[in-house]
Amino acid sequence: MTKTVVPIGPFHPLLEEAESFTLKVDGETVVDVDLDIGWLHRGHEYLSEGRTFTQAIYLVERICGICSTSHPLACVHAIEDVDHIEIPERAAYIRTLIGELERIHSHLLWLGLAGHFIGYDTVWMWAWKWREPVLQIFEQISGNRNHYGMMRVGGVARDINTDDIPGLQKALNEMESKLGMIAKAVPDDPVLKSRLKGVGILSKEAAVDFCAVGPTARASGVPIDVRKDEPKDAYGWVDFQAIVLPNGDVYDKLVLRVLETLESIKIVRQCLEKLKAPSGPILNNVKEIGIGEGIGRYEAPRGEVFHYIRTDGTNRAIRHKVRAPSYVNIPTFAASCKGIPVADALITLASVDPCYCCTERAIRIMTPDNNRLDLDLLRLSREKTERLRRNIHG
Amino acid sequence: MSWSKKRLAKSLWVFHVSASPCNNCDIEILDLLTPRYDVERFGIKLVGSIRHADVILLTGIVNQKVAPMVKRLYEQAPKPVFVVGVGTCPMSGACFKESYNIVPERKDVIPIDVYIPGCPPKPEAMIEAIVKLMGVLRG
Amino acid sequence: MVNKDDLLRVLGPKIRRKVEKPGRLYFEVADEDLTEVAVYLFQTMGCRLSTATAMETYHGLEVLYHFSHDATGWYYCPRVVIPDKVHPRVTSIAPVIRGAEWIEREMAEFWGITFEGHPRPERLLSKDHPQRLDKPYRFRRVS
Repeated sequence: MTKTVVPIGPFHPLLEEAESFTLKVDGETVVDVDLDIGWLHRGHEYLSEGRTFTQAIYLVERICGICSTSHPLACVHAIEDVDHIEIPERAAYIRTLIGELERIHSHLLWLGLAGHFIGYDTVWMWAWKWREPVLQIFEQISGNRNHYGMMRVGGVARDINTDDIPGLQKALNEMESKLGMIAKAVPDDPVLKSRLKGVGILSKEAAVDFCAVGPTARASGVPIDVRKDEPKDAYGWVDFQAIVLPNGDVYDKLVLRVLETLESIKIVRQCLEKLKAPSGPILNNVKEIGIGEGIGRYEAPRGEVFHYIRTDGTNRAIRHKVRAPSYVNIPTFAASCKGIPVADALITLASVDPCYCCTERAIRIMTPDNNRLDLDLLRLSREKTERLRRNIHG
Repeated sequence: MSWSKKRLAKSLWVFHVSASPCNNCDIEILDLLTPRYDVERFGIKLVGSIRHADVILLTGIVNQKVAPMVKRLYEQAPKPVFVVGVGTCPMSGACFKESYNIVPERKDVIPIDVYIPGCPPKPEAMIEAIVKLMGVLRG
Repeated sequence: MVNKDDLLRVLGPKIRRKVEKPGRLYFEVADEDLTEVAVYLFQTMGCRLSTATAMETYHGLEVLYHFSHDATGWYYCPRVVIPDKVHPRVTSIAPVIRGAEWIEREMAEFWGITFEGHPRPERLLSKDHPQRLDKPYRFRRVS
């Protein structure tokens, strides 16, 4: 029987970026996944070769808007790795503070989108509403809500005024009480549990074989976290836990991100305490970088961001390689999407948190004999939640 | 036909096209719907199909792979439709001007009526742009 | 736990031109030994393949793999130098490590390197590109 499928994106209201998935469907279950990317390719590695190191930091910031501080942090770690440049202590605390605030805002963003995909629009509105205080803190520190431009080789560009810190702490306290409420309500909801438990499981062997990173790997039991494996900046001086859960399904990924947000708030508090004492330089003025190679990495909200720089003694890099975490996480769909019902396809694809700067969500669905099917995945996902809710609440 | 333009200004339906952006402008556009800025009280809403759109919000430098799709979308949109370029990318290409994958002139692909500068533009700037557009429509 | 000294002892004769820095080890291997080194790093030492970089130097084209040993925070980077710039070929490690599939497809598309033994050697970023691409992606300039 032939049916036609119309893709949901790329230009759908809630889906940024473009990436085209082709799902092969047999009856109600997904049999195979194929991907078509390249809609967002802008040529960063080519553009970075003609620019000085400071210009390259501004360029890599614009690789992604959501994890906009992870790329500059990995880039300055790579450049500092060439010559083992040390940074002042105050700069280390400021870098960690900005990185962790970004993790909070990125996880809240994901929580909102996940809520929208399964039909809980209230979760979307609340999560994004309580993201605004974080963006306001960024605006107060750096002047912009995103794309802060704070990183430099050898330190940071701007200092935090010690008079501002009590105000920042107060904003953080308010946000924490609301986040605590969301953190208790969302994982405990019986409808969410039955909707998301056991869905889209990525086994530990598959996670290791595909070399997955970040929450995608940690939710499958693989204990990797760059903040613990190679602590740079202030991560060796603050106290926090790297959370690992065993099951690998979408529910575990949700709980993991919520718990990570609470850990990030702990780290931000510790950094603000240390920054209250004034003084100290924030930049180690580096005049030249020698010949060599450097590797820098950072734990972005989605996983490990990797930058590699090769220098020749001038103030420009001769090779700058960037690898975003979604590049290794997205192929895991081939393992986690096999055998799931079509109504769960959207939330499984979203649970990896593909960074939209490499993915558009146009989803094409094909039957085994290569006919296109017309299915609205968002509607199917929400209808399944309604059915489960009726079963549970009667 | 100015009465129809006045009607149009009462409730603009917006379609969002993201052609190779870094997604920051897209997140700021979605931020407009959330409780802090809340543009739905002005009657503005995001629609799922280009056939219902009055305004197209374009973000990103348009790269060569996505350019034919953007052109087709513009042709499918029922006229009159206004194109708003959000951010520095549709204006000038930002820092990607010299890339090998960018289209040489964005206005050959899709004609843009309103530009909103900023990287990313603040939500307040976007609301001001839409208010200006509504003012022009009302005459 | 298998560590760097075991690596240098077991694979000693195959490792040439080694550069060691705190936390990083860069070394050169020949194309025939690449699969054996990759299997040792991935399976025996338990490293994770992070990515691979291709670049052009005056020796030829160079493919540099980056393996991360998460237990210690070290990076092991074997490189293969390909002197033939007209038809560069290298053995693929994708049959051994599934995560290397996309990484090698991107290098093949951008630099024109053929990875022998790769299960799905198709274009990744420029599939269905509206213009006909006759050169590797990276060598197209905007005039």
